[in-house]
Amino acid sequence: MPTETPAPTARTEAGWRRDVWPGIHWIQELGGHRAGIARAVLESGADWYKPGNELYVPQNAYLLTGERTLLWDTLSPASGHILLPALEELLGERPLDYLALSHPDVPHAGNTMQVLRRYPDCQLVAPAAGETHALYHLDDAMKVGPEDEIDLGGLRVRFPEATFLDAAIHTWMSEETTRTLFTVDWMGFPHQSGESLRRTDEIATVVDVGRLEEFHSRVMFWFQYVHPHKVTAATDALAVQFAGYGLAPAHGLPIPGADAAPYYERMNEVVRRVAAGGRGGVL
Amino acid sequence: MWRRADAGASCERARSPERGRTVSVIDLGGGVSWVHESFPETNGHIHVSVYLVDAPEGAILMDSGSFHHRQRLADRIHDATAGRGIGAIILSHSDYPHSGNIPAFRRDWGDFEIIASCGDPDLQGLPYARRTKIGDVTEVLGRRFVVLDPPLADRNHTTWVYDEASRTLFVADGFGALHAPGACDVDWGRLPEEGRAEGVHEFHAQTLPWLRYADPNRVMGALHAMLERHPPAWIAPIHGPPIAEADVDRYMADLSDALTRIAASCGSSE
Ligand SMILES: [Fe+2]
Ligand SMILES: [Fe+2]
Ligand SMILES: [Fe+2]
Ligand SMILES: [Fe+2]
Repeated sequence: MPTETPAPTARTEAGWRRDVWPGIHWIQELGGHRAGIARAVLESGADWYKPGNELYVPQNAYLLTGERTLLWDTLSPASGHILLPALEELLGERPLDYLALSHPDVPHAGNTMQVLRRYPDCQLVAPAAGETHALYHLDDAMKVGPEDEIDLGGLRVRFPEATFLDAAIHTWMSEETTRTLFTVDWMGFPHQSGESLRRTDEIATVVDVGRLEEFHSRVMFWFQYVHPHKVTAATDALAVQFAGYGLAPAHGLPIPGADAAPYYERMNEVVRRVAAGGRGGVL
Repeated sequence: MWRRADAGASCERARSPERGRTVSVIDLGGGVSWVHESFPETNGHIHVSVYLVDAPEGAILMDSGSFHHRQRLADRIHDATAGRGIGAIILSHSDYPHSGNIPAFRRDWGDFEIIASCGDPDLQGLPYARRTKIGDVTEVLGRRFVVLDPPLADRNHTTWVYDEASRTLFVADGFGALHAPGACDVDWGRLPEEGRAEGVHEFHAQTLPWLRYADPNRVMGALHAMLERHPPAWIAPIHGPPIAEADVDRYMADLSDALTRIAASCGSSE
């Protein structure tokens, strides 16, 4: 249920962060207002978006703090000034033990060098999948895949195969004590002014099929070329494997585990729509 | 027009530092040349190349290559442009092996224009880029390019471009193929037939993970429609050798087989 209580956010000098679940801190980069998507949303007749509001497709990074600490992704190169102060405030005197990259895509990995310079003892963690790590400066990183677990002391992260991905060097991550699945480029959606750094249970608007479609018809442009049933079969398998897990996407708002089940269904409708109607544009 | 390796230059020779500056770029005709680089993988070499296009107002570089090959690319571009360097880069997408040399090349040759497609250049680390979008016809240094929606790509903001003057179709991560060590500088039709189709399959299986969900007919249909609208004298991929007009049908047949195999490896298509 939506709540009107203010989200427990803290404004740093230059950006935003909050605790989203115990031990999981969320650092968000809004990017600019997406006027083109806002127009498309209005034309679609959607009722979740209020004309005049800014519309964002965010980048999210997540800091996990057990006895040891792990940062998942780094925001885009435009937001080092958001990420680093937020990290410093969250970590205080503590070291950053791991920087784990979902994939070496610019809006996800854009501040890797800055983070490693600021925390020189930090272990870089990269997906084991793929063959061209040296072309991304990832040849010396610790490589992780579905067999691997990092025990952070109080939190335990695993690296399930990325089911929906844009390039070969890619992994998803799960945290097993809070039961959270980090879905990277999948399960994203736009949000508007007043909804930044809120979970889906803290906003008053619905995240329906159309809202998920605005994101995936652009980012997963290849839905237009698929056999929809192959994608829905993979989505259904995820819904079973991760039943009850909260979802923490890189380009949307986190979805509590208790609310997650219908989102898988909505994604199945999204892929059927994009396969029938084509891509929505470019992000 | 060039069709085969010049004097049997091999990757190994091209890689040796003392030969680095002597390996020339390979002329495809129409003012387009291939500046090839390769990277070794388990099952073969993958090209991570760039192309130079002669335009009335300067040299255009198609993508910037990988930082891994920076110095040798810079030397060869320097030689090929008689020291003038490049006047613009048309960037297919911001993936690092395509975009990684932009800052260094701008230091070498000044703040030349970057033409790139993406919703938000800042997020892609290209605040200075001129944005193009699919469907545009854009002029770069006095030469016209048609900006196309790529059926084969990894990042959603990828674009392909068609150079009308030379009828070269620049296809970024599309139309790739692995090649055997030593065959780094021959066009696709001149690769040894043995293993050539497998190189097309290997490339797609590892590089475009979404193909496991694809309907091969839909992908091939989109490609055929594009080739009909923009008939290429050359197809110019970053991760494979250029494909001459006479070889396009054979490549498409191998690609269709590869997509069918990849699709079959993931569930039924019924
Ligand atoms: Fe991505
Ligand atoms: Fe992303
Ligand atoms: Fe790419
Ligand atoms: Fe690529």
